[in-house]
Amino acid sequence: MALVFQIVWRILHALLHVQRTLISWLRGHLWRWNGQLWNRAFAALLVPLALSFSNHKTMSPTTDKRVCRRLRWGADGRSLEKLPVHVGLLISEEPRYTDIANLVVWCMAVGISYVSVYDNQGVFRRNNSRLMDEILRQQKELLELEGSKYPLEFLNNVTDRQDCQVFSNQTTVKVLSPEDGRPSIVRAAQQLCEAVEQKETTSKDISVSVLDSLLRESKPIPDPDLVLKFGPVESTLGFLPWHIRLTEFISLPSHIDISYEDLLGALQRYAVCEQRLGK
Amino acid sequence: MSWIREGELNLLERFAANVLKAGPMPRHVAFIMDGNRRYARKNKVERQEGHSQGFNKLAETLRWCLNLDIKEVTVYAFSIENFKRSKEEVDGLMELAKQKFYRLLEEQQNLEKHGVCIRVLGDMTLLPYDLQQVIAQAVVATRNHNKCFLNVCFAYTSRHEIANAVKEMAWGVEQGLIKSSDVSEALLSQCLYSSNSPNPDLLIRTSGEVRLSDFLLWQTSYSCLAFQSVLWPEYSFWNLCEAILQYQFSYRSLQKARELHKEEQAQQQLESDRVCVAQLVQHGGNGKPMDAHNRQKALNNYTTSREERVHNFLAALQSKRDNFFHKLSQTALT
Repeated sequence: MALVFQIVWRILHALLHVQRTLISWLRGHLWRWNGQLWNRAFAALLVPLALSFSNHKTMSPTTDKRVCRRLRWGADGRSLEKLPVHVGLLISEEPRYTDIANLVVWCMAVGISYVSVYDNQGVFRRNNSRLMDEILRQQKELLELEGSKYPLEFLNNVTDRQDCQVFSNQTTVKVLSPEDGRPSIVRAAQQLCEAVEQKETTSKDISVSVLDSLLRESKPIPDPDLVLKFGPVESTLGFLPWHIRLTEFISLPSHIDISYEDLLGALQRYAVCEQRLGK
Repeated sequence: MSWIREGELNLLERFAANVLKAGPMPRHVAFIMDGNRRYARKNKVERQEGHSQGFNKLAETLRWCLNLDIKEVTVYAFSIENFKRSKEEVDGLMELAKQKFYRLLEEQQNLEKHGVCIRVLGDMTLLPYDLQQVIAQAVVATRNHNKCFLNVCFAYTSRHEIANAVKEMAWGVEQGLIKSSDVSEALLSQCLYSSNSPNPDLLIRTSGEVRLSDFLLWQTSYSCLAFQSVLWPEYSFWNLCEAILQYQFSYRSLQKARELHKEEQAQQQLESDRVCVAQLVQHGGNGKPMDAHNRQKALNNYTTSREERVHNFLAALQSKRDNFFHKLSQTALT
């Protein structure tokens, strides 16, 4: 009998695998098809606008397209009922830098102030500069305002810090690893215990707010409002345990070949959710 | 309505259970039982009725878990944030809890038969005193049972729990039981309310919300999360099976992530021990550099003494917590 159950279990899981791959395949293709529709509809809407633009300024066709896209992305961001301040991208599969850079750049375009990128093996931490370069490249490619006129301004605006970069003075991009999770809480605990050892404070004074402000000192970013999780593993994989108290988790099958519409869909889902905060 | 429901699965359910059991099963499942109020609104019944239906569903779910060989269940019964609800609703929930814990005391024999150990995790001091007493009685009465475990998170939030763990460690420092350098990830885990349980393998939240709402944030770092859209009072055996299937699907990747994390944790501990030994040598040594053999010996000595300190501290903490419940339950009897 045990053998029968074993076999049925295996068949069940094989079926599940097939179903998942099928869904992600369909998603990709349907979106592409949908995306074309979208583009056409938008072209119809924006062509008159772009034409009136070109009366004042002569622009190359590619720049034209970029401006359209940028306008559309900005408008999408504003049309949402609420926009997350901080979005975490949790990658639980083999990373592809171009797709991640695209995601980050779209987040910037929509108007999100903080974007963090996380994986549980510290791959991004180790390849921090590679990711940041990729983001800069995609940013230029997708967003650049005035064609090749001011390519340097972007670069000048980038303030280099260890693992946290501010792009075009609007969006902060941060790479996170498990090191920022439990170990950072432990470091804060150690600090407090040292203070107790030195008789600077007592155990009775320790509270949620004391610990929270200590943790905020080491990481001056707001708690993530939304985490987009990419990949087949349904878990936070050690993503900032202290900070994800009220974070919404939206799971997407993969970040490979992800489209802007996928991201917008997730943001729309976030925009309609209601938080009751215990009430 | 009682805590333990007798009854077996039907044929089809039994078949499904056996099929699932052919794969890796979660040993510990945590539930956020969300949707009681929405259920009440949907079915046009009183809010309080929704909450008691929710409790009945809990009893049913516990039986399913037993049938599926899941030995430990943790539930989010009442958050510290829930105190912000209307006084009427909070009072109603406190009353319901009191009733259910009295009921539990009456069912002691049944609990003993099944070997159910009940633990209550949370800041008890925030609760009305009579509720504290009856909870303490239930906890003390079932503390030696060890076949299955039900952890009820009451007046709980995860941040509160972590801050409390830090507080306990600071208390240990004040008492001279540990040094601040002994604070580690493993020690913090053992100072949480959930110190006697393994981390949950699977966390289930019902009613379609996709956040953790300050529940077991530390413990579920490497757990499988299953967000299901069904309202808690409508939860079915098949929903549970679906969640377990999801767990089995992620099982291997999760296992890998856990192992990686464990290695990192061990590495950090070793690193911290090395630093401490180096400091000791600097302070107490005669300035001569140590050779590799002596350094290893000093490190081993240090590790042993640290483990001893931590062990004594944890024993003291456990007896402090046991005493708290014991005293409370004593006052209830007199």
